[in-house]
Amino acid sequence: MSFFYNIESTWLSLKHHAFRSLLAMLGVVLGVAAVVGMLAVSEGARVESIERIQRQGVDNIILHSEEPQANQTGGETIYFYGITREDIDHFRTVFDNVKKVVPIVELRKTIYANGKPTDVILMGAAPEFLALSRSKNADPRGRWISESDGALASQVCSVGVDAARQLFGLEDPLGKTVSVYGATFEVVGLIENPLKSKLAGKYDINNLVYVNYETLLSIFNRDALNVEADYVYVQVENLAYLKNTADRVRTYLNETHELPDYTISVPYELLLAEQATQRIFSVVMGSIAAISLLVGGIGIMNIMLANIYERTKEIGTLRALGAQRRTILTQFLFEAVTLTGLGGILGVLIGFLIAVLIKYTAGMPTIVTPGSVIVALAVSILTGIIFGTNPAWKAANLSPIEALRR
Amino acid sequence: MSLIQLQGISRVYGSGPAAVHALRPTDLSVEEGTFVAIFGASGSGKSTMLNMLGLLDEPTSGNYLLEGRNVAKLSDADRSDIRCRKIGIIFQSFNLFSHFSILENVCMPMRFAGVPRHEMHERAAELLDRVGLGSRLAHSPSQLSGGQCQRVAIARALANRPAVLLADEPTGNLDEKTGDEIIGIFHELVAEGHTVVMVTHNAEYEKEVQRIIELHDGNVVRQ
Repeated sequence: MSFFYNIESTWLSLKHHAFRSLLAMLGVVLGVAAVVGMLAVSEGARVESIERIQRQGVDNIILHSEEPQANQTGGETIYFYGITREDIDHFRTVFDNVKKVVPIVELRKTIYANGKPTDVILMGAAPEFLALSRSKNADPRGRWISESDGALASQVCSVGVDAARQLFGLEDPLGKTVSVYGATFEVVGLIENPLKSKLAGKYDINNLVYVNYETLLSIFNRDALNVEADYVYVQVENLAYLKNTADRVRTYLNETHELPDYTISVPYELLLAEQATQRIFSVVMGSIAAISLLVGGIGIMNIMLANIYERTKEIGTLRALGAQRRTILTQFLFEAVTLTGLGGILGVLIGFLIAVLIKYTAGMPTIVTPGSVIVALAVSILTGIIFGTNPAWKAANLSPIEALRR
Repeated sequence: MSLIQLQGISRVYGSGPAAVHALRPTDLSVEEGTFVAIFGASGSGKSTMLNMLGLLDEPTSGNYLLEGRNVAKLSDADRSDIRCRKIGIIFQSFNLFSHFSILENVCMPMRFAGVPRHEMHERAAELLDRVGLGSRLAHSPSQLSGGQCQRVAIARALANRPAVLLADEPTGNLDEKTGDEIIGIFHELVAEGHTVVMVTHNAEYEKEVQRIIELHDGNVVRQ
């Protein structure tokens, strides 16, 4: 029997029972649409969260200084806390697998530009911060703050592109000055972070003013600063030993700090946790998909059994004219697989639509991956084979005289 | 050698005291090129006889020689193949495929026999032309009258040039005049050398055929 005949006969049968066929397909259509739609949402969420974490740098351990709460200090107010220069030196000199230690201190004072107060924040950063944050010089005439700026305590700063706009509007920022808490800094450079990352996951890197860390500490003393460093990036050499290094940092800080005046965040660990969550999510989605396709498959089986019951006489006639059992089997299996295959295609299209709708109405990122489409189609065809086999087998094994009697 | 030879063919449904002897051991032969009628009242075993001849059912005992080959105890696949190539069946209610055109209906047995597409369509058109429906190839069975449908069924039965045509009450659903036309076609076919075995309960056709087999309670009472 030719393949062409199977297509023709299936087409005529589906056309003859168009509404019924559509109803039969519905289970598979909705199942596949749900799977494709949900996978698009989860993939979108996954990619977004991983990007967010990666923007903080997966090879970093980030330390934050935290003001101890009154209940932890016995009611005493602590004026000075957090990660110290001593800690930073210790990480730099004693620890192995450490590539760079980049301290950043925040000056919690208002910046004035052209005599007017602004909302821009000033950071004292070690010069390695530019490379670490994957930022770049945005103006060839300018430069980033240097090691020698620290050694000479030069009162110069480099500003992020968004900060420059806030401070000076459309004017050229290079050569201009900003003043903070009695000190004046000349703008010598402009930087941009193309990834639009955030410092310690908190401040937009493009919207900060940077002074050399050493300069800041030498100009402002303890009446302006409560900490020696607000954030410390510890960048590791080898990602494979990152967990080990993080554990050693934890142990060291735990032993040297009496009060819990710091927190540690490890983006890589967050990434791993995120990936584990995603795996669980995928398993749950897979189960939902399996159930919906099972329901869809049962619908197909039901309709195929009804078809065969209705077409018993036709099957008997085919057999009387000389059709082999396997011809009948192939024909009905082909019909079942066509139903689920068409259902799968329709489902993928609706799934795409769902993904687009979610993107534009709920504002959630969605990504339909080719893999999810292929899996959805393959599973719907497999559903047709699994649930079509029994009805097709029944049809093929009808006794010709029994079938003709109807 | 006879075209068809039945040797002690019987068919028993069920077993023990409840067994129904639809056909008692029967010897029968049909020569090539004859028009045979099987008569009998309802329940006489004539349908069972037709099912035996058409290889739609397996005999309980006995041999069935078709063109000298014993076909009584073949596998389902082999019997399907013989039904396809050697036997043409015509039903009382035509049993045409309503979704397909009459051309496609006639093509069906040729598809099972693996006839190439072009040749198949050519022969189907030829056969339909011969039963007077050459101008309606694309029509569906529902657009035709009963007599025309039965002509399509005859064309379909002839598709693979079978050794024997089996007709089960072919005029049962037709009026007298149309029925006579169908019998007329059978006469033509027999004149060309075809063998036709027709099951009927209509005694009027006794004078039409060359040979009469009469069944009663599963026994052949006249042949």
